[in-house]
Amino acid sequence: MISTSLQTYAETLRFPPTLVPAVPQWENFVRAMSAGPFMTYARNSVIITLSILVIQLLVMIPAAYAFAKYRFRGKTVMFSMILLAFMIPGQVTFIPVYLMMADWGVIKTLIPQIIPFMSNAFGIFLLRQYFMQTPEEIIEAARLDNASEFQIIWRIMTPMALPALATVVLFSFVSHWNDYFWPLVMTDSTGVRPLPVGISMLKETEGISNWHIIMAANVVLVIPILLVYTFCSKYIVRAFVYSGIK
Amino acid sequence: MKKKLSGMMMAAVMLTGVMAGCSNGSGTDSASGSPAPAASANTGGDAGKGGKVTIQFWHSIGGKTGEYLQAMLDRFNKSHPNIEVVGTFQGSYDETATKLQQSLAAKTAPDVSMLERAYVQQFAEADVLEDMTSYMKKSNLSADDFVPGLMGHSTFNKKLVSLPLNRSTPIFYINKDLLDEKGLAVPNTWEELKKVANALVVKEGNEYKRYGMTLVHDSWYPIAFITQAGGKFFNDKGTSLGFIDSGEGKKVFSFLKDMQSTGALYYPPSQNSGNVAIQMFTEGKVGMMFQSTGVMGSLGSNVKFKMVTAFLPKDKVNAEPTGGANIVMTSDSKNKQAAWEFVNWIMTDPEGGLQFVLDSGYLPFTKKMVETQQIKDLWAKEPNRKVAYDQLQYAVDTNKSTVWPEVMKEFHSIMQAIMYDNKDIDASLQSFKKEAERILSSK
Repeated sequence: MISTSLQTYAETLRFPPTLVPAVPQWENFVRAMSAGPFMTYARNSVIITLSILVIQLLVMIPAAYAFAKYRFRGKTVMFSMILLAFMIPGQVTFIPVYLMMADWGVIKTLIPQIIPFMSNAFGIFLLRQYFMQTPEEIIEAARLDNASEFQIIWRIMTPMALPALATVVLFSFVSHWNDYFWPLVMTDSTGVRPLPVGISMLKETEGISNWHIIMAANVVLVIPILLVYTFCSKYIVRAFVYSGIK
Repeated sequence: MKKKLSGMMMAAVMLTGVMAGCSNGSGTDSASGSPAPAASANTGGDAGKGGKVTIQFWHSIGGKTGEYLQAMLDRFNKSHPNIEVVGTFQGSYDETATKLQQSLAAKTAPDVSMLERAYVQQFAEADVLEDMTSYMKKSNLSADDFVPGLMGHSTFNKKLVSLPLNRSTPIFYINKDLLDEKGLAVPNTWEELKKVANALVVKEGNEYKRYGMTLVHDSWYPIAFITQAGGKFFNDKGTSLGFIDSGEGKKVFSFLKDMQSTGALYYPPSQNSGNVAIQMFTEGKVGMMFQSTGVMGSLGSNVKFKMVTAFLPKDKVNAEPTGGANIVMTSDSKNKQAAWEFVNWIMTDPEGGLQFVLDSGYLPFTKKMVETQQIKDLWAKEPNRKVAYDQLQYAVDTNKSTVWPEVMKEFHSIMQAIMYDNKDIDASLQSFKKEAERILSSK
C-alpha cells in the first residue's frame, strides 16, 4: 500500500507489480488531500469515533459492573438480550434505524453515526467477565471505607480493568474509524461524511482508478489506527506481565 | 454473506417502497397533470428564501469523472440563479440503488438520481419514478431525439421513466502492433477471433508469456456472446432463460473454454478483474481485450503501442449489450418543475450533457449531440471513440427484467463454476435455469 502510494500512475499498472517505486512521488499525498473536502472528512471521523468511544465507556463500565456484582430481577434475561444484540449484524438493523433517524430529521447531521453505537455489547460482555474475576474482598474493603458505588466503579474497578478496556477501545476505535457501510447508508450529504466514504469517492465507477492517489489517502487513513494500536498494546502486554506475577 | 444479506434487505425495502408508492398515487398525479404555473411547483418543502429551489441529485460517479460531473452541476447552478442542484456521491451503482430504495421508504429521497440502467425496471415497477412524457412534450423533446440503442431500459408500462446519461458499451481493444508483427488482420467473426488469438499466444515450457485475448469477469460479455449467437437471455414470456434450451449457452461457454484451454483466452480472477485485464493489456501480455468504452480515454494515454478499437466480433449477428447509468426523477419530489428543468438542461444544453460527454468519454446520447461540431471534431481526432458510437446500431438489451439484479448474481456464480472450476457446462446451465425460473416465478 505504501509502495503504491508513492508510485506514478504508469507504475501502478505494471504487471507483475513493482515493490519499490522508481522515484517516490510525494505529491500523490497532496493530490489525495486536495481531491475533496478532506479536512472535513477527517474532522468528522475524529468527532464520530471519539464521541462513540467516550459514550461507550460511560455506558459500558457501570453496566458491566452491575451485571458482574449485583443481583437483581431479570438480570439473566437482560444479559442474554445484550448477548443477542452482540450477534446481530448492522446490516439487519440499518433500515429501521434509518427510518427512525429520518423521522427525527437528523439525517443531515453526525447523530445517526453516533447514537446507534452508544452501547457496545461486546464490551459489556468482556468487561463483565473481567469484573467477575476481581475478588469480592476488594469491593467489601472499599465499602467499609465509605466509598460510594460511583467511586468503586471509577477508582477501583476501572483501573484494574485497563487491559480489557484497552482491548475494547482498540476494537471499537478500529471498527468505527474504518466503517464504510454505516456512514454511507446514514448520510445524504458530503459535509457529514467520514474519511472512508470520502476516500471511496476517489475511485472511478467504471474505468481505471488512480490507485496511487487512493493508496496515498489510505495511508493517511491507517496512521491513526497504528497510533491507537501502539498505545493500547502497551496495556495489553502489561496485563500479561501482571497475571504472570500473580 | 454481506452481499446476500444486503440483497435480502433490498427486497424488504422494495416492499415498503411499493407500499409507499401506492399510498402516494393521488398526490403525484396533481403535480404532473395540468401545466402548473412555475410558482406553485416551487411551494414544496425545499423552496428556500427568495424563491430559490434546491434540487438533490444523487450519483455514483467518483474519481476524475466525478470532477467532470461536478463541473457540469456548477455550470448549471451558475446559469440558473433560482435553482441550485446539490450533487451527492452515494457509492457504487449498487449502493446508490440500495440507498434510493431505503430513502424512498423513509421519504428522504432526492429529486433526481442516477440509476444504473438494469435497476430501472425494478424501481419503475414499484411506481416510484416520475413519468417524464408530459414534461418532455412541454419542452418539445421526444424519445426519438435520443440514440435508439440507449433507450432499451427507459420505457416501462408505456411510461418513460428514465433518460440515458453516462452510458457505455463493451468494445474490442486491439494491440495493433502485435497483430501487424504477425501479419494478422483485425478479426470480425468468432472464427477469426479464435485464429488470431491462438496465433498471438507465446508459450515457453509450461508458462504462457503472452495470451491471445482477455475479457472482464462480468455478465456483460457472456450476454454479448449469447446475443451474437442469436440467443436471448430471457425467453419472450419472461418466465425462463431463453438461451439455454436453444443451445446458445452451451455454444458460448464451449467456445470460451476451448479458447481458455490453449491460452487464446486469459480469464482474469473474479476480484478486480477489470484492472487485471487492463494491466495485462497495457503491458502487452495479451493482444486483445473486451472492455468497457469507459476506459478508452485513460487507456489511450497510457499504452505505448498503437491501439485500435473495433466492433465485437460476430457469430450469426453483430450484437452488444449496453451499460452505465440513466437519470430518473422520483415521483415523491416536491420540486418537479425545477427538477425537470435540470434534466432538460442536461439533455439539450451544449454546456450540459454534451460537455460532460466530451470531458468524460461516455457515449453521446442524443441525436443532436452526435451532429454537433464538437463531437465531429472529437471523432476526427480520436476515431476509436466513433467506433464505440457506431457500434450502438447493434445494441440489444435482452436482460430487461425486474428481477435482473437477482438473476445476475446467480449467473455470476455459474460463470465462476464453469470458467474457474471447470464444472460441466450443461449441468451448470441447467441448475442456473432452475434457479432463474424460481426467481422469475416468485416476482
